[in-house]
Amino acid sequence: MFSYILRRILMLVPVLFGVTLISFFLLHMVPGDPAELLAGLEATKEDVDRIRTEYGLDQPLAVQYLRFVGSAVRGDLGISIQSRHPVFTLLLQRLAFTLQLSLVSILVASAIGLVAGIISATRQYSAFDTASMLGALFGISMPIFWLGLLLILVFAVRLHWLPSGGTGTLRHLILPAIALGSASAAVIARMTRASMLEVARQDYIRTARATGYRESVVVFRHALKNAMIPVLTVFGLEFGYMLGGAVLTETVFSLPGIGRLLVEGIFARDYPVVQGAMIVVATTFVLVNLLTDVAYAFFDPRIRYE
Amino acid sequence: MRRTWWGFGVALLVGAIALAPAAWAATQPQVGGTLVYGAGADPDSLDPANTDSNPGEAVGRMMNNFLVRFDAKLNLVPDLATSWTQSKDGLIWTFKLRKGVKFHDGTPFNAQVVKYNFDRFLGPEKPLKASLHTPIIQSVEVVDDYTVKFTLKVPFAFFLNNLAHSATAMVSPEAHKKWGKDLTLHPVGTGPFKFVEWVRGDRVVLVRNDDYYEGKPRLDRIIVRTVREDSARVLGLEAGDYDLIVRIPPEEVPRLMREGRVRTYAEQSNRALWVKFNVTKKPIDDIRVRQALNYAVDKESIVKNIYQGLAAVIPTLVGPLNNGYAPVKSYPYDPAMAKKLLAEAGYPNGFKTNLWTPKGRYLKDFELAQAVQQQLQAVGVEASLETADWGSYLAALRKPPAENKADMHLLGWSPSTAEARWGIYPISACDQFYPRGSNLGFYCNKDLDGLITKAVVATSLKARDQRLREAQELLVKDPAAIYLLATKETVGMSLKLHGVINSPLELVYVDKDTWKEK
Repeated sequence: MFSYILRRILMLVPVLFGVTLISFFLLHMVPGDPAELLAGLEATKEDVDRIRTEYGLDQPLAVQYLRFVGSAVRGDLGISIQSRHPVFTLLLQRLAFTLQLSLVSILVASAIGLVAGIISATRQYSAFDTASMLGALFGISMPIFWLGLLLILVFAVRLHWLPSGGTGTLRHLILPAIALGSASAAVIARMTRASMLEVARQDYIRTARATGYRESVVVFRHALKNAMIPVLTVFGLEFGYMLGGAVLTETVFSLPGIGRLLVEGIFARDYPVVQGAMIVVATTFVLVNLLTDVAYAFFDPRIRYE
Repeated sequence: MRRTWWGFGVALLVGAIALAPAAWAATQPQVGGTLVYGAGADPDSLDPANTDSNPGEAVGRMMNNFLVRFDAKLNLVPDLATSWTQSKDGLIWTFKLRKGVKFHDGTPFNAQVVKYNFDRFLGPEKPLKASLHTPIIQSVEVVDDYTVKFTLKVPFAFFLNNLAHSATAMVSPEAHKKWGKDLTLHPVGTGPFKFVEWVRGDRVVLVRNDDYYEGKPRLDRIIVRTVREDSARVLGLEAGDYDLIVRIPPEEVPRLMREGRVRTYAEQSNRALWVKFNVTKKPIDDIRVRQALNYAVDKESIVKNIYQGLAAVIPTLVGPLNNGYAPVKSYPYDPAMAKKLLAEAGYPNGFKTNLWTPKGRYLKDFELAQAVQQQLQAVGVEASLETADWGSYLAALRKPPAENKADMHLLGWSPSTAEARWGIYPISACDQFYPRGSNLGFYCNKDLDGLITKAVVATSLKARDQRLREAQELLVKDPAAIYLLATKETVGMSLKLHGVINSPLELVYVDKDTWKEK
């Protein structure tokens, strides 16, 4: 198990190399120049060239990339061309925030999703089942942007219960977590229901019932635990996407997450910021996938990694 | 009609009596409180010499002072300089400085500080805005601790405007020595509010400067939040999360005014929007075609329908509140005249062309371009609309004539020195073709250049403004662009906030007198 985890982590090296290489060249293929954007409309070409030289943008692309890799392996991700903030500090701040938001969101999503899914599965075709699956359809289909504005309108503007955006307290995370988590809740609910229904038809469930276990034991210990594998997959994917940045949610609620850093970095052609953010996004995604795989073994002892 | 007015008058009177105590209470300024300001974007830099964005300049105005500064109506008033004299030839300017002013880090302000700040512009560091001063200033000398003498390379009638430019804020020499280019992350000025922190993408925090030379500011603290999304800013204001927001979309204004829970405050800005011609392209090189296109666009209708009245038609390239703006007679909406001129130029059935526009950079920019496109179509000119994100847009336009694909391009221009010369020269002078300057349409009229030069060397304001008027008249005769409009900046604020400055420079900020009811 340990050597498996180590191998997977080592796999990160080629992954990161590929990700930075591709994003670097893609970004440079897009027209637009960070120096020009920084200097603004009133600047002369001389001003622009000075900035280019300062940030080494006048060098051939290969040289620029190798320089980036060279300092990145030493832990130096450079400074933002746009604002001179150290990229490492920016990433830490954004990652800390994105982690908080993603954790609260995935908690909200799994709480709602699992409960709704389990009840729906145990009471298939009941009124609750129909209602929750309709709700799930709604959750998946609703654009985050629209849902976010709606939540702000109701809970911030009309009721004054929660802040409309920004950061500061846990209360600031509630509306964004609901907006971000609702689609995941829907997916988790549907997956839990489907998987539970599948497991419920298995022989060992019938055997468990025949042995005389209480229904709750059958549902939670025998059915749910075995039904968790596909749910875990969904859970891991959703969490991975959240950690990769939730640009829309971050925009509606004016949150300083990694997603907006990346998107705004792309618009500003702020190469060091984009590269740094890509490294973070790729790393978290790989790690979450690894955690998911490890969790499989916990839920299903038959799964072993050697 | 008369009765209606009567009733209105009575209602006003009753209302005034009923509201009097509240109004009286509201006019008694209170001390203390935090102002939460919802800005549309992060500053680009908090080092004045390196900033080129409204958010950066607006935050700067709260932290910094200038030798002379603009008041809310763009008059030039003393700030850190108390008085000044100009030699007869216009080359020597001597400034008497204010005594007893201290930077936030304790460094005293004096003539050496002024010299240090200008030497920084003229020296090898070359901050972004160095080109504001390098062509003009020869040297700066300390006469005594509180007198400083500028020697100019050329007479320059807009010198005071340059000193009031956001970039020319006085920064602490000690802080600059310590931080160098990273002054942007550790700014130190003399202004009413001191820098605390800048968390990019989230907030800039300022606190009251108790030692401010004009007296202690009333607000304790200012939090400038980055709220990119327009509707999120408006909703946040309505929810009470922000006390002040910028850039309300025009279509939201009527509703907010009707509901009355927040106050909106529109101020004419100097941001001129126009569709610049690329005069190297056929048939736009023909003056009759350029005139025709100006006749073809109904600007009044655009202001009314797209901007809900939150813009003003302008006669040339220059926004209406700039020093030296002249309300010259320009092009009325006259499609018949447009067709006639097109026919004379040899295009009775119009022609095909393109129109480049940014999207979301300026107030309603894309909608404006669409309206222009439709109105040109009515006189037979088929303009295809091209748009791109700002970075790609700049890259496409900032190209020499041979590689420049844009026949016409929409831009907004707001002279940071609040004078008409900057509204014309950098974008229309013969020696400002890209890459030397920002003339991206390659317009060149020697007479115009001559008038601008005369305005620059004028030593009286009257002579200067007369030359500028003639320049604007010439721009009408020989159009450099389809002249459109200058936008208004609409800020929204809580009913409890008083004394916000909405400058025509599109800078929204607060000063020591701004206050908030508890």
